[in-house]
Amino acid sequence: MIASHAVWQLVSFAFFFGAWEIAGRWPVSAAFPPFSQTLLALLAMIADGSLAKAYVSTLQPLLIGIAICGIAGVGFGVGMGLSRTVEWLTLPVFIILQAAPMAAMIPLITYLYGIGLASKVLAVVFLAAPVIVMNSYKGIRNTNPSLVQMCRAFLGSRRQEVVKIVLPYAAALIFAGLRLGLAMGFIGVVIAELLITPTGIGDLITYHSSVAEYPRMFAAIASIIAVAALTLYGLERLERALFPPEIRGS
Amino acid sequence: MSSFLRTPLAIALLATLLTGALPGEAAAQAGTRIKYALGDVISIDELPLLVAVARSKQRGVEVEVTAFKSEEVATQAVINGQADIGQGTPYAAVQKVNVPVRFFYQMSALQFFPIVNAEFYKTWKDLDGQEIAVHTRGSGTEAIMRLMAKEHKITYKNVSFVPGSNVRALGLLKGTIKASILDASNKNYVMKEAPGKFVILPLGQVKASDEALFATQAFLDKNQAAVAIFVEELIKVNREINKDPKSILEERRKLGLLKDLPAKLEAEILPYFEEAAKGGIFPNDGGGENAAKNDLEFFQLAGALKGENLKAADFWNFAPLKAALAKVR
Repeated sequence: MIASHAVWQLVSFAFFFGAWEIAGRWPVSAAFPPFSQTLLALLAMIADGSLAKAYVSTLQPLLIGIAICGIAGVGFGVGMGLSRTVEWLTLPVFIILQAAPMAAMIPLITYLYGIGLASKVLAVVFLAAPVIVMNSYKGIRNTNPSLVQMCRAFLGSRRQEVVKIVLPYAAALIFAGLRLGLAMGFIGVVIAELLITPTGIGDLITYHSSVAEYPRMFAAIASIIAVAALTLYGLERLERALFPPEIRGS
Repeated sequence: MSSFLRTPLAIALLATLLTGALPGEAAAQAGTRIKYALGDVISIDELPLLVAVARSKQRGVEVEVTAFKSEEVATQAVINGQADIGQGTPYAAVQKVNVPVRFFYQMSALQFFPIVNAEFYKTWKDLDGQEIAVHTRGSGTEAIMRLMAKEHKITYKNVSFVPGSNVRALGLLKGTIKASILDASNKNYVMKEAPGKFVILPLGQVKASDEALFATQAFLDKNQAAVAIFVEELIKVNREINKDPKSILEERRKLGLLKDLPAKLEAEILPYFEEAAKGGIFPNDGGGENAAKNDLEFFQLAGALKGENLKAADFWNFAPLKAALAKVR
């Protein structure tokens, strides 16, 4: 069963890369390289160290942004879930942020915070925070009421109710929020690197596009997609291992 | 029946009259529509183009200008056939892409100004071991700064990339950037906003194209007459500006171009064109072989072009320019 699953996965990959190769050789556009050339370009970029250097610089704003969201975002979400006043004060902000088109806000960010690391971190935060906050908030709000009632029936204090019932129950949704926040963070950091100043992966994409090294440009794009997808897949597996299905909310 | 006959007859008569009024070669391609891809926002530096577009239209060649986000997007539009003529200097793409694309006209030569914060630096030597900011990796601005470093035997500590002259201008004014390179209008803006705060470093003669026109070989072969008319008009505008920069103001008014320009920018039109005319930025002869030679040297140095013994014929098609120059003496 597992073997056949793996075979199907391989077939699917082979089909996708095969179609890419054909599309590149046909070609759909003079600037669209076949899969084989893109793979060779990727290997060359790994070998000359340019890809590793780019990731060091791309991951910086991403990790700082996610760390800020992980602490402040979860804090806000939990606060909103537990207190109506905090909810009333902050929920609209995150709902607006969630709906705001990020690329349109980049000029605003650069006017306020310039073109350095701060702006890029902020782009990550703006995209990742709403989903992290909302998930934490919903996790707290959706705690099974019978469990809360049970805690009260045993004369549990409010503190015990939060620490022993609500937070453990919401943990799975909070974790899922962090995972989805990271997914949004990847989008934010690449948008920032393409629209603010070209650094890291954004630099590889813009530079290789400007000197018409299309295989390298596509290799950079494919690599960030692969890194994001694999990271999120890994986190999802971890989530499944950590939390039982009944509190995962699915 | 008689009115049915009369209408097409009248149209035919009108068409004959109209085309008869046009010069011969225009009649051959009257009604040609050229899709023009511009990788920049339309502003005062595009005025010569807009004048040429309006005049070409009067001669039966309609040029439809679309502004794209960047030169790369405009280049892709030409390569993939969504646009006919592109503006920019994508020498690397012309060299690498297997669709024959050729330059055929130099609109303007590079005009950039290395500018430093006077509080920290005064000369090129002061930039030794210092940080500078240029447009993007592999851009003309980077090539100029590296060229000057070589000439003055200095090395920069770090070259950071800040796309957009206007963004670097703001950085300089805010103090986050101490040494950079700007285009003419942003240099003027910075010098006006903070008089005495910045020094412009001397630049040797850097001769390369800032903006050139390119199209696929197939398009140029198929639309020779229409392209020649357009190029002719572009040359005429440049010559008028070089003779009298004020002429562009009059043309703008007459043709109703860039009507919604803010007053602040309107005041910058004349200084911009006076400076450009003085600096010889707009060629009187469309660049041609000289421009091709200078560009190949410059973009090779910039790292955009690879290989030795680059041939102008692999990058330029001189036929449309020759045809146009034969008409305007």
